[in-house]
Amino acid sequence: MKQKTDVLQGTLALMVLKTLEVLGPLHGYGIARRIEQISGDLLAVNQGTLYPVLLRLEQEGAIASVWGASENNRRARFYSLTRSGQKLLQAETRGWEQTATIIARFFAVKAEDLT
Amino acid sequence: MKFLKRFFVRLASLIGARREDQRFMEEIEEHIALQTKENLRAGLPENEARRQAVIKFGAVGALREDYHAEQGLPLIENLLQDLRFALRQMRKSPGFTLLTALILTLGIGINTAIFSLVYHVLLEPLPFPQPSQLYAVWARSDVDGNPRIASSGPDFLDYQDQNKSFSKIAVIIPHFSNTWTGDGDPKVLDCTGVSADFFSVLGIRPYMGRFYTPQEYEELNNPAMLVSYRFWKSELGGDPHVIGRVLQIGGSASTIVGVVPPLPDLFPYTEVWPTLPTRPGWDFMQWRKNKFLTVMGRLKPGVTPARAQDELTAVLRRAPGEPEDVRVRLIPLKEDLVGSVRAQLKIILAAVALVLLVACINVAALLLARSARRSVEMAVRLSLGASLKRLRQQLLTEGLVLTLVACSPGVFAAWLALKLLPQLTALRLPRLEGIHLNSAALLVTAGIAVLTTLLFGWAPSLMFSRPALESSLRSGRASTGKRHRRSFSTLIVAEIACSVVLSICAALVLKSYWRVAHVDSGFEPEHMITAYLRTTYFTPEGRSFWSDVLEGVGSLPGVRAVALADCTPGRAAAIATLVLTDHPKDANHAAPAEGCWTSPDFFRVSGTRLIRGRFFDPNDSADSSPVVIINEQAARRYWPGQDPIGKRIAINYTGAGRTGTSTPRFRAIVGVVQGMKYGPPESETEPAVYMPYLQDETYHDMAAMSLFVRTEGDAPALDHAIRQRIHSIRPEQPVDMILSMQEIVSNSIAQRRYSLSLLAAFAVLALLLAAVGIYGIVSWTTLQRTREFGIRIAVGATRGNVMADVFGQGLRLALIGTAIGVGASMLTTRALGQLLFGVSPLDLTSFCSSVILLGLISVFSCVIPALRSAYLDPVRALRSE
Repeated sequence: MKQKTDVLQGTLALMVLKTLEVLGPLHGYGIARRIEQISGDLLAVNQGTLYPVLLRLEQEGAIASVWGASENNRRARFYSLTRSGQKLLQAETRGWEQTATIIARFFAVKAEDLT
Repeated sequence: MKFLKRFFVRLASLIGARREDQRFMEEIEEHIALQTKENLRAGLPENEARRQAVIKFGAVGALREDYHAEQGLPLIENLLQDLRFALRQMRKSPGFTLLTALILTLGIGINTAIFSLVYHVLLEPLPFPQPSQLYAVWARSDVDGNPRIASSGPDFLDYQDQNKSFSKIAVIIPHFSNTWTGDGDPKVLDCTGVSADFFSVLGIRPYMGRFYTPQEYEELNNPAMLVSYRFWKSELGGDPHVIGRVLQIGGSASTIVGVVPPLPDLFPYTEVWPTLPTRPGWDFMQWRKNKFLTVMGRLKPGVTPARAQDELTAVLRRAPGEPEDVRVRLIPLKEDLVGSVRAQLKIILAAVALVLLVACINVAALLLARSARRSVEMAVRLSLGASLKRLRQQLLTEGLVLTLVACSPGVFAAWLALKLLPQLTALRLPRLEGIHLNSAALLVTAGIAVLTTLLFGWAPSLMFSRPALESSLRSGRASTGKRHRRSFSTLIVAEIACSVVLSICAALVLKSYWRVAHVDSGFEPEHMITAYLRTTYFTPEGRSFWSDVLEGVGSLPGVRAVALADCTPGRAAAIATLVLTDHPKDANHAAPAEGCWTSPDFFRVSGTRLIRGRFFDPNDSADSSPVVIINEQAARRYWPGQDPIGKRIAINYTGAGRTGTSTPRFRAIVGVVQGMKYGPPESETEPAVYMPYLQDETYHDMAAMSLFVRTEGDAPALDHAIRQRIHSIRPEQPVDMILSMQEIVSNSIAQRRYSLSLLAAFAVLALLLAAVGIYGIVSWTTLQRTREFGIRIAVGATRGNVMADVFGQGLRLALIGTAIGVGASMLTTRALGQLLFGVSPLDLTSFCSSVILLGLISVFSCVIPALRSAYLDPVRALRSE
């Protein structure tokens, strides 16, 4: 259970970074919408979990935030990727792809291949 | 790196926490607004749109917590919260806080002080380079029955010339006195005579000026002089140009050539350091049997003390007239200084450790009781979702805060105690100067603090477990159950047992003290004053001074009788060996005796009883036939079953400052007197001989005598008159240490008194704590049983029944604790050793009185809770919950 949350947290951070890289500065709702659109039900229930992740990324310096005006013309916090965030994203992406490849290869293996 | 960065960002946000929270709330608001708009666009009605948006966002409260946890440092925040809570708790129950703080302050303070003291005295190495190479040289012989034989001048020269083990070896006369005249009031100075290598044995350098040159060490009347740092500071005003100053010491001019640095461990009171020439030496340094010198040396690196010991034993056995079983003992210098007090200090240390144990138990019990009272609070918090870990952390914090609060005054108390200790010179402890609150003691204190904290921070919290929750909540009161009460009772029983052990020890030592204080020492100390008269002029012509003093002081109003003697009852006498005409000469069995030259009235002044024969009278003069009076111990040992009157003996003195006579001078025994003690009252009365000072052929009486005055009324009032009268006879005569004999006796048992007061104080403290403990447990359990008592009284139980019940509970604990304590005491009181005098370690009255005392205390501690429950209003008791 706990492990699953950890994985979720890690992937969520990666999704946030990727979203910001593709779409440029966005507010929290925008990021949530985007992730929801792509991942389906990952954020369907708990959109709020995004915010602690955003805070964490900001503390680490991967993203920066400024106040701006939303579509409602109200104050909203806009997040953007920083240079170190960029690097982090690249590194994470590589790592993730590697892991994915290895896992995929494992799943592809059938019993008779191992004899 | 990333971790550190995050840490600092979080630390910063810890301070600006509120702003961040606001930002979060604002973001949520906006998020939900946007989602609502989206939902509206999708065609939901307005209410439903917002509701769905909120649902989709998730639990705001929990998220906020998460966000908060992510943002700040929860550990520190919780800690701060707990600290605030703990302080609030303490403010809320000041009585409890004060009591625990007081108990811990006493426990920790006393422990730190005593530990610092013992550490400094027993364990701290001497402040010299390679202190483990320093040894004192003694000899022992079982044939002679003497485990601690000093050295003579020839012994030392043999050691020095024939040993290969020591890099340096020196001989000293630790203490003698001399006069200082010509600068204001004449004074008597404490001197330590040292031979050539003494300062290099220790490895010290002069504080100022220089030490003696090798030539100066060899001169019999060396005009150069070293003074101690203490003397230079207090008597010479710390004068920076003191080198070259000339003082009249012992009537001759001495030039100060250097200042010896302070040696608080070895010779704290020495004022002047004269040379002790060994080759050529004075007469008294050349007699093989004149064993009164202290030898100390520094072993060469790599030489074991056992090897050096064998080597010196071989050297000593080659000397003429030594008993065949004589052995040299090398005692580490530090051990030589403190060995005599080691056992006593260990007892005190053990006692103080017991006190701390009792204090800790007490505090643990107090906290246990409190946490039991708080079990409802804990149950509510647990069921509202607080984690067990979190609660334990909080209790631990409370314990730590309390320990800190209790520790700081404890350390202060210890510091204060150590400041005051060196003032008590009557303690007669070596190395008392320079005691400080050392880091080791502080570490131990910290250890005690942490231990105590763990004890009461964790022990109560371990009792909360989820299953217990339910019953706590349901009954709505501090439910504790049997397990609680049992652990509680165990604590109290242990506490009572400890205090019983302490009070039995104190009772035994108290009885010993009473015995010691009532020993008949062979003289009557009441209305008797003494003064020490060290003379300046060491010539036979000076002898008339003594008769002038006897006459002058004797004619003062209020003086009943006056006498002179070169010994002081209760304090000191010279050691002599007897030459007996009617016994076979046996070199291996010397006949030792205490020797004393006296004026005719000595026994009449001291109040010593005559048993046979006669006292001295004025006819026993320099020209009449030589006479001697012996004490009953000498009569019994050397002439058992015979009448010693008329027997003839000669006396060989040992010690410094004697002028030798080639042939022994035989004297007739004219009287036998009651034995007199020259040490503390618990010492054995040794054989002693007394001779008229006018018949002193060694002329030693010219050096110094003590004056004894028996007065009619109030003794102290005569101090001034005596001093004046002596100064009118000889203005430059110092009159030192005018004391009443009662003070001398009191000083001689000061150390015992000190040990007693410490032990008694500890015992009283432990008993008080035990009383608090018993009171605590009994009133706590009666509180638990309020409802039960209410019901019982309502259905007809008498107040007597209830009271008996409460008393029974308290007394049962007291009984078990006392039984254990008595058992433990029977095993341990033997360890009191020298502190016991004339009392068996299993002394019945001491045991009984302690047990009765504890019984009374437990009864008293039960009175209030018993009355409280007996006069309970049943109606209110039943409604109280």
